[in-house]
Amino acid sequence: MNPSAGNSATGIRFRKARVVYPNGTVGMKDLDLEIKPGEFVVIVGSSGAGKSTLLRAINGLNPISDGTIEVGGRSVPQKESAELRRLRARIGMIFQDFRLVKRLTVMSNVLVGRLAHVPGWRAMLNLWPAHDKEIAFRALERVGIADKAWIKAGQLSGGQQQRVGIARALAQEPSIILADEPVASLDPVTSRQVMDDLVRINRELGITTLVNLHFLDLAQEYGQRIVGLRNGELVYDGTPDTVTEADFQRIYGRAVTEDDLKLSGESHG
Amino acid sequence: MTARPMPPNRVGWGTWLTFIIAALFIASLIAIEFTPARMLQLPAQLARVLGFFYPADMAYGWNMVLPAIVESIQIAWVGTIVAAILSLPLALLGARNLYPRISRIAHLISATARAFPEILLAIYFVPIVGLGPFAGAMAIGISSIGMLTKLGAEVVESIDLGPVEAVQASGGSRLLALRYAVVPQVLPEIVAHWLFRFELNIRASAVLGVVGAGGVGGVLLNTLRYRHFEKAAAVLLLTILIVLIIDMISGEIRRRIIRS
Amino acid sequence: MAEAAVSVRPEKPPRNWWLWGTALAFLVLMTWWSARGIGFSINELVCNIGGGRRLLQESWPPDFSFLPRLFAPFLETVQIAIIGTVVGAILAIPISVLAARNLTLGMFVWFVDRNFMNILRTLPDLFWAMLFATAVGFGPIAGALALTVFTIAVVSKLYSESLEAIDMGLTEAIRAAGGSWWQMVQYGALPQSLSQYVSYVLYGFELNIRASMILGLVGAGGIGMILETQRSNFEYERVTMIILVVLVAVLVIEQVSAVIRRRLT
Repeated sequence: MNPSAGNSATGIRFRKARVVYPNGTVGMKDLDLEIKPGEFVVIVGSSGAGKSTLLRAINGLNPISDGTIEVGGRSVPQKESAELRRLRARIGMIFQDFRLVKRLTVMSNVLVGRLAHVPGWRAMLNLWPAHDKEIAFRALERVGIADKAWIKAGQLSGGQQQRVGIARALAQEPSIILADEPVASLDPVTSRQVMDDLVRINRELGITTLVNLHFLDLAQEYGQRIVGLRNGELVYDGTPDTVTEADFQRIYGRAVTEDDLKLSGESHG
Repeated sequence: MTARPMPPNRVGWGTWLTFIIAALFIASLIAIEFTPARMLQLPAQLARVLGFFYPADMAYGWNMVLPAIVESIQIAWVGTIVAAILSLPLALLGARNLYPRISRIAHLISATARAFPEILLAIYFVPIVGLGPFAGAMAIGISSIGMLTKLGAEVVESIDLGPVEAVQASGGSRLLALRYAVVPQVLPEIVAHWLFRFELNIRASAVLGVVGAGGVGGVLLNTLRYRHFEKAAAVLLLTILIVLIIDMISGEIRRRIIRS
Repeated sequence: MAEAAVSVRPEKPPRNWWLWGTALAFLVLMTWWSARGIGFSINELVCNIGGGRRLLQESWPPDFSFLPRLFAPFLETVQIAIIGTVVGAILAIPISVLAARNLTLGMFVWFVDRNFMNILRTLPDLFWAMLFATAVGFGPIAGALALTVFTIAVVSKLYSESLEAIDMGLTEAIRAAGGSWWQMVQYGALPQSLSQYVSYVLYGFELNIRASMILGLVGAGGIGMILETQRSNFEYERVTMIILVVLVAVLVIEQVSAVIRRRLT
């Protein structure tokens, strides 16, 4: 692991964690799961299996109704508070739909990752210390789009926008990265590039990384560890090479079809 | 033989509505004694008065009317600035997608402010701050808050909420989420609404002189009252000219802001 | 994969300082100059809050005994609005048609009509009221004429834009079948845009009700004439009563009109 990044990778532990939505749907059923510092975990499951719920519980975007989640040994606060914001500042999040402000420059979007690290008045007045701008630039360089820094985010392609999303997460200097279906709106080639970026960052910086994927082939190719969810329950937890046909059956409730593969047609293996 | 269908019954609600409107219209004409004889007199009467307006007394125009129009513009500007500053937070709070509960209060304030025509507000402001343009600016400001809040809240309701969550997920406070995810998305449209309201406010401030709240309206009222038609003609000419120019400039700026 | 180490950091493009500087300077100077020009002072506002409270005390409660005397002028106000809306809405049709680029009769007609429309729009409602009150004498007829002009200005602007957006297929078919220009407009263009037209007229009616309440301030009839007398006599309890009536009327008309407009679309 790269000590220069200055992140102490952080583990995550779910203990009998349960999420019930206001409409009564159970999003997560008494989940027990431990993720070690620096791991690269891919979470698979069909839509509605509770993948997003799991990720969003880690940074408190979805509160849990029962049980506990601990991040780095401290339990996640369940109410909006300064403590929760401090925790979120250390957890980068990447979204399927990028969630950039299209009218702002790439740089401004990446600096959003520094908001929790500078004094509030400086952030309000858009007066960024040189140190934070440097971090933002380095984050852009790490995903290879520093040359686009002053272009409006809306003018970039989908793959480039997702890299801005990754850079924004990196600018937080996080110890955990949560990626919620980061490639679902991208084509196969771009998907592969984005996944490569995520793996590289995990390896170089040792940031604990959780990635939600719908596609099995991507999950098998990239995951060091695969967690399978179905109806909010853990149904598989192991390495990619031990996944069997029966495991797929358990995760998806049916046999694997073409639709579950993203890279089909491409040569890999 | 084929059965030819009857045309459908044409006496629908449209016909009834036309009939009712026609009846109301005629009843109204009778009530205000707008008789056919009176109507026939009208063109000659209007033409005769129109003749008095020529030639316009432009010396009076440059010396007396122009300063009054400038005052109207100043009233409209200050009123718009006051309304813009006060309506921005109200527009954010009035957005149902951000503040489902508080937005009702903002909407209530907005609806109340919209219900009052500027000139009625001016009637109350004149005794408070005295006769003059300051009262006019306050009246314009308060009454513009209503429309600017409503339009602004609609803009905020149409934004993409994704970036708001992204800011919160990175540990930013709600205030910073407004600053970095909401305001950049809405500001161009909101500024365009401010400019549009400024155009409307110039017209509104022009009439406030009628109740003594400054501006060109008072000048027109006096010139007409004393039947100085050449001077009134100067008022009308200059008002039309200047309002047209400001509309043109402001409209062009609005288009550019929206395009950027 | 692109290697991170070798990367060119672009210079931040310089802001267009000239544009931003000018805009900011204009904003600040214009505000400062305007505020001075009109004697804006927070101080005065705060100092006079006392006077404001006294005024509010004098204005409240509204003088309900005055209500019966408001009935006739209120009715007159509504009558003025009806006449102005009906006549204005009819006259707005030819003006809108000639101002629509796709229907007009030649560039010259279009240019003249368009500018005529814009000039009507520059003058506020009360200016028209003052002019007509001078020309035809104080009273409701002046108000009705003023609102006619005001309605033409509001409706023709909006309606000509709708007419420019209609589907020209039908109108061309009528032309191709040998129809005259007027037949093309009557059977091709107007029916397509009827619901927009009705909606604009209703909007005009809302504005007219609002405007008709204050026309009386310059002697053009309706409830505003009583408002002007009571205001001059500082009978603020009665002023409040009148304004309450006006507000209720405006809100009711707006609600009704909103319901009808929603049904139309």
